[in-house]
Amino acid sequence: MKALGIAATGMLAQQTNVDVIANNIANANTTGFKSGRAAFQDLIYQSMRQEGALTSTEGTSRPVGMNVGLGVQSAGVIRLNTQGGLSQTENQLDMAIEGLGFFVVNRPDGTQAYTRAGSFQLSAEGQIVTLDGYEIDPGINVPDNTRQIEINQEGVVMAYVDSDPVPVELGQLTMATFLNEAGMKPIGNNMLEETTASGEPTLVNPGEPGVGIIRQGYLENSNVNIIQQITDLISAQRAYEMNSKAIETADAMLSTANQIK
Amino acid sequence: MSNADYVSLSLASALQRSMDMSAHNMANASTAGYKTMQPLFEAVQPEGTEDTATSYVEDRGMYLDTSQGAFVATGNSLDLALSGPGWLSYQTDGGATAYGRDGRLTINADGQLSTLTGAPVLNQGGAPITLPQAVGQNLTISTDGSITDAEGAVLGQIGIFRVPEADNLVPIGNGLYLYGEAGADITPATDTTVSQGFIEQSNVRPVIELTRLMDIQRAYERAAKLMSDSNDLTRQAIERLGSVI
Repeated sequence: MKALGIAATGMLAQQTNVDVIANNIANANTTGFKSGRAAFQDLIYQSMRQEGALTSTEGTSRPVGMNVGLGVQSAGVIRLNTQGGLSQTENQLDMAIEGLGFFVVNRPDGTQAYTRAGSFQLSAEGQIVTLDGYEIDPGINVPDNTRQIEINQEGVVMAYVDSDPVPVELGQLTMATFLNEAGMKPIGNNMLEETTASGEPTLVNPGEPGVGIIRQGYLENSNVNIIQQITDLISAQRAYEMNSKAIETADAMLSTANQIK
Repeated sequence: MSNADYVSLSLASALQRSMDMSAHNMANASTAGYKTMQPLFEAVQPEGTEDTATSYVEDRGMYLDTSQGAFVATGNSLDLALSGPGWLSYQTDGGATAYGRDGRLTINADGQLSTLTGAPVLNQGGAPITLPQAVGQNLTISTDGSITDAEGAVLGQIGIFRVPEADNLVPIGNGLYLYGEAGADITPATDTTVSQGFIEQSNVRPVIELTRLMDIQRAYERAAKLMSDSNDLTRQAIERLGSVI
């Protein structure tokens, strides 16, 4: 009897499910966080009787087969790439992307990562950096004595320096889009990496057709729907219990078998 | 062993298979597009004997409960759910065509719409659907399965098929099912609609599965009791016959 092992795969799957839900709930207030969902698939089947096998010399064949499944497996965690709500912060270096695209971040090791969390700061050298101090790409230097920074929807960064009423253009922010955003790998600190599944990044300017625009002074909230997460948590718990019931039953059957005298 | 032992033994082993199947159904209660498997029992009489009183139990096979699963809204543009009797078609690793109802799609490295394990989803003509680089997830899938980008250009159509006797489909894992007879009588389904942003939950009904568990357990106990009782009878017979002499 394989029921014990099969039910165990079911319990493991629900544990993964609860882990993913817990991570979503923990990140409900993380800027730019995208909610994840554990996705399950049925495991392979063991064929006990082959359908179509001949049952007589006259050529009659078995219309149905006997295939016993071996449980369930996690196929992955799907990130839900919907737009998060925007909240106004009035911080002039806070930027939210409305639509598709990611900010490009230069990591200290020379590689690039991508983020939707636009809570940027100025470094000691006047660079626009992430909360971890990583420079955004292309690097933008803000001169000393800047009164105010203006970033328009197309990502052009302008600064009002000293008492000059005419702004100085500092640079153009670019964004990256991916063929398969769901294939990007989350690496923590609000950042994602490209993978072979996501495809190569396409660099675009904000506001181009099909690409998002930048909203200065806003941050993108996480897209975690707390009510949904709580109801998912309840059903995961019940599914876990149901699988443990299957283990109990299989156990009782084996104990019955042991008592035959 | 007597006939009574073998009859109860046939019941016990059929019940174990049935228990495995129930456990598999429950393990897949959260698997999108999963269809409940049902065991098929049959009474078997031994051939070539005059004995018509004895019949054994055989778990002849299994069939799928192809009823509709409940929809869950996910808001993901690459999730789709089918309502109606139609099936999506996929290409397996070996190049064969498989069917299924798992509409959690993604885009694989070749830009093709595929399942989470990378099996390409096929269009009405049986070819994979390749999306242009720029589209990303910015697409609309209409109720007939046609895919359009943000500007309204049609990029392809997801094939939805009517599979005759779908309850005999053979599961091969990862949400894929094979059709036995080379797909000759498979025709496009016109009575099935696609809903974007939803997934179809498995149609496993927890209450039914739990009651089936109780049923299996009690029936197994009955089989075990029958075996013990028949053993007792034999023992008593030996004791009595022995005491006469």
